[in-house]
Amino acid sequence: MTKIENPSREHILDRIREALRAPAPPVDMTPVPLEEIFEPVADPLGRFLAECQTNLMEAVVTANTAESAERLAGLLTALPEGEIFLQDAPAIREIAKPLEGKRSLRWSTEGAPSESCQATVTLAEAFVAQSGSVLSSSSCGGRGASVVPPTHIVYGGVSQIVPDVTAALRLVNEKGLPEQSSYVGLISGSSRTADIEKILVQGAHGPRRLVVILQRG
Amino acid sequence: MSTAAREFHRKAAEKAPDLVHRQVIQRNMVSYDIAVDKAKGRFRDWQAGRRRAQQIKWEAINNLDKLLEQFEAKILERGGHVFWAADAQEACKYVVDLARRRGVKTVVKSKSMVTEEILLSPALEKEGMQVWETDLGEWIVQLRHEPPYHIVTPAMHLSRQDISRLFREKVDPTIDTDDPQKLVAVARRFLRRAFFVAEMGISGANFLVADAGMVAISTNEGNARLTTSVPPLHVVVTGIEKVIPRLENLGLFWPLLATSGTGQPIITYSTLIGGPRKAGEVDGPEEFHVVLVDNGRSRLLADPEQREILHCIRCGACLNACPVYRNIGGHTYGTIYPGPIGSVLTPNLAGIEEFHHLPFASSLCGACREVCPVRIDLPLHLLQNRRKVAESGIPGLAEMAGFKVWSWAMMSPQRYNFFGALSRMGMRMVKALGLSGSLLDPMRPWTKYRAALPAPRQSFRELWRKQRVVEKPE
Amino acid sequence: MALRVALFIPCFVDQLFPQVGLDTTAVLRRIGCQVEFPEDQTCCGQPAFNTGRWDDARPCAERFLQVFGSYEHVVCPSGSCTTMVRKFYPDLLQGESRQQALALGRRVYEFSEFLVRVAGVREVGAEFPHKVTYHSSCHATRELGITEEPRILLRNVRGLEFVEMQHADECCGFGGMFAVKFAEISSAMGDVKAANIEACGAEYVAAIDSSCLMHVEGILRHSNRAAKTIHLASILAAGSK
Repeated sequence: MTKIENPSREHILDRIREALRAPAPPVDMTPVPLEEIFEPVADPLGRFLAECQTNLMEAVVTANTAESAERLAGLLTALPEGEIFLQDAPAIREIAKPLEGKRSLRWSTEGAPSESCQATVTLAEAFVAQSGSVLSSSSCGGRGASVVPPTHIVYGGVSQIVPDVTAALRLVNEKGLPEQSSYVGLISGSSRTADIEKILVQGAHGPRRLVVILQRG
Repeated sequence: MSTAAREFHRKAAEKAPDLVHRQVIQRNMVSYDIAVDKAKGRFRDWQAGRRRAQQIKWEAINNLDKLLEQFEAKILERGGHVFWAADAQEACKYVVDLARRRGVKTVVKSKSMVTEEILLSPALEKEGMQVWETDLGEWIVQLRHEPPYHIVTPAMHLSRQDISRLFREKVDPTIDTDDPQKLVAVARRFLRRAFFVAEMGISGANFLVADAGMVAISTNEGNARLTTSVPPLHVVVTGIEKVIPRLENLGLFWPLLATSGTGQPIITYSTLIGGPRKAGEVDGPEEFHVVLVDNGRSRLLADPEQREILHCIRCGACLNACPVYRNIGGHTYGTIYPGPIGSVLTPNLAGIEEFHHLPFASSLCGACREVCPVRIDLPLHLLQNRRKVAESGIPGLAEMAGFKVWSWAMMSPQRYNFFGALSRMGMRMVKALGLSGSLLDPMRPWTKYRAALPAPRQSFRELWRKQRVVEKPE
Repeated sequence: MALRVALFIPCFVDQLFPQVGLDTTAVLRRIGCQVEFPEDQTCCGQPAFNTGRWDDARPCAERFLQVFGSYEHVVCPSGSCTTMVRKFYPDLLQGESRQQALALGRRVYEFSEFLVRVAGVREVGAEFPHKVTYHSSCHATRELGITEEPRILLRNVRGLEFVEMQHADECCGFGGMFAVKFAEISSAMGDVKAANIEACGAEYVAAIDSSCLMHVEGILRHSNRAAKTIHLASILAAGSK
């Protein structure tokens, strides 16, 4: 990559270093444990499901792969004609088997989801109980999969639930995600806006529906 | 008085008595207050959260050079570009040159106060590029050719009827609804086209995470997601002060920002971008640039007493709490950043010559300090800015002389009594002559809006002295 | 009891609302205090301080230390002036003076704070048969943490019907020079406060700061509203012993 001349870089850094030679008034640095700030999450699954409700997300717990496949088929056959985009991962291939021939499927290995697709199906890096969030990344079918379609379906396991956002972010570092995936994100509900008279409207630029299929087995 | 000061007074005089405007803001603030209370309840100890947030920001700002370098190294490693811009012109030049080189015709933008600060959109439009704001509120005010009313809810001042009319005029003449659901659908349809043709997406940053080398961007609508996923080129424009040391710090800052900003537990799309798309990724921009903007921030950094102003996470809570903001609204300030944070930031970034009035446009009530999630002592900074203004000589010789006389008078009870009695006599004379409230009334700034003050014949100390002579102490 | 108390009477109370000073004195005497008024006092310096003229405010602060330094208890019928001494003198002064200010600041009390927290008195034998609401002045509320004391004292006044107004602790809009420099905004804020007072049905709005009260009174009269303003001290001084 061609290097652009940037003399200001040194000037700015010099000014910052010079500025910081004068110490700011100190603040009380007595440690504040996370448990003091947030009540530890007692029942992660229960909390996750409750938060999904608050977030206007749909979450369903299934017992096994067969049930998950059934759920997925139910969701997708109800949608209007159009392409379904799926993350090309063994687990998704498995639960998508009943759909072959029934719906137009586009796999992530074939390219990005088209703007007119009806739904996307992806995995997740984790689920966060505290906030009812899906921890996603560009390794989960790419960036567009979680924002382009009107319906986004996430398939994962109960064992992927972590208690809170801090734990999720520690997991991101542990898994080395920042180096593996150019995008990592927490998604906590459907796309929404309250910019008009503070009235909540779902389905602004992103999906109107976010569905989580959580499998126990 | 500067031009900005005159304008401020003119607009304030218009807006302050506007009861319709007042009602609109009250209504918005009632919703906000209820939501925030609920969101705060999700913390075991909200005050502990504020204390910790203050600590983290203190650490970040006081290690700014090291953390920025740490952040930059990671972005560069991953094939991203980092450009350090000393001021608005440099930042705009970089982005405009880049856009020109890549043949950009359409730009989509997610919300970024810094891009407004550096006037980026006009610079791109001058090159013949079409720039679309994609945050619904920002798009609405863009269509109206007006600045954002609030740093978090830009179109707070508009009713659904206003927006319906606007869309009918500017977007689609067949629109005949003011149903918010349908209006949002109009925006979605229209802006989708922009997302999918744009050659460049510009976003701001809520936080720059130093250890992971990632840019954190949060939206409820998902517009920043599309802005940073679809166009082949993504540019982040951010102030240098947005740094936080560690990724896990967002475990506090994301709920904190959402709670204070909109009264939500967390903002729906809390995104982290570390670079351009990697080999093997399904999609994403091929090119990724971060423009780090100084534009006066390092100068503010150099003032150790005011440095903490840079801790601000731009949540907007201080605007919402401010009784002045609630009365005059966001457009009156004439600044990119209105409200209490605007009043302490703008004179420091844009100079006290133009904005000498802002630190004084406050009753110092302290409501802002109470709500700031990172515990910035805003009233103290207002006072310190007032001091800077006074020391600069801007208020003029008359005020300076007036206070010198006042100070001299206060050094002696006799002089103090004399001037006090003289003032009261003057007030009684004005009343007796029927001049109260007239243009000849020296107290007219008071009496234009309020009944005249009482002017007793005897002060407390005169009465005390009399009493002391008459009564015996108990 | 015989607590010896020095009166710190704010300059505008001294000049424009002397009755507040007299009422403060009466109540303190009624609860058994020995009340003195150091006649050398002038102004605490807040007008200059708030205008950014710290060099003009500093001599007032130094002077205040001289005038009041020897007293164990200094009582002031104003939250904002008490705040000036307790909170801002240490910012204004340095070295020895700053130490003195810190020490004296601990001995300077707002009137209701003194009654309840120092004298341990919650009831002063007052009678005031009216419907009264309370405006919680900014400095008192947010700098000194005084919210309960005035309410306790008011609730114990015979015949007084206490009502809370909406947003009792929202700024009335006075803000010192702000009231004059930004009169258009100040009066709009006052208007909001006046509307809240009217809405709660109170005949009187009480406060511990005459600065707030003079502004609110001005707004109430100008807008032809019925409610009247009154300083807490004047309510407490009312009625027989």
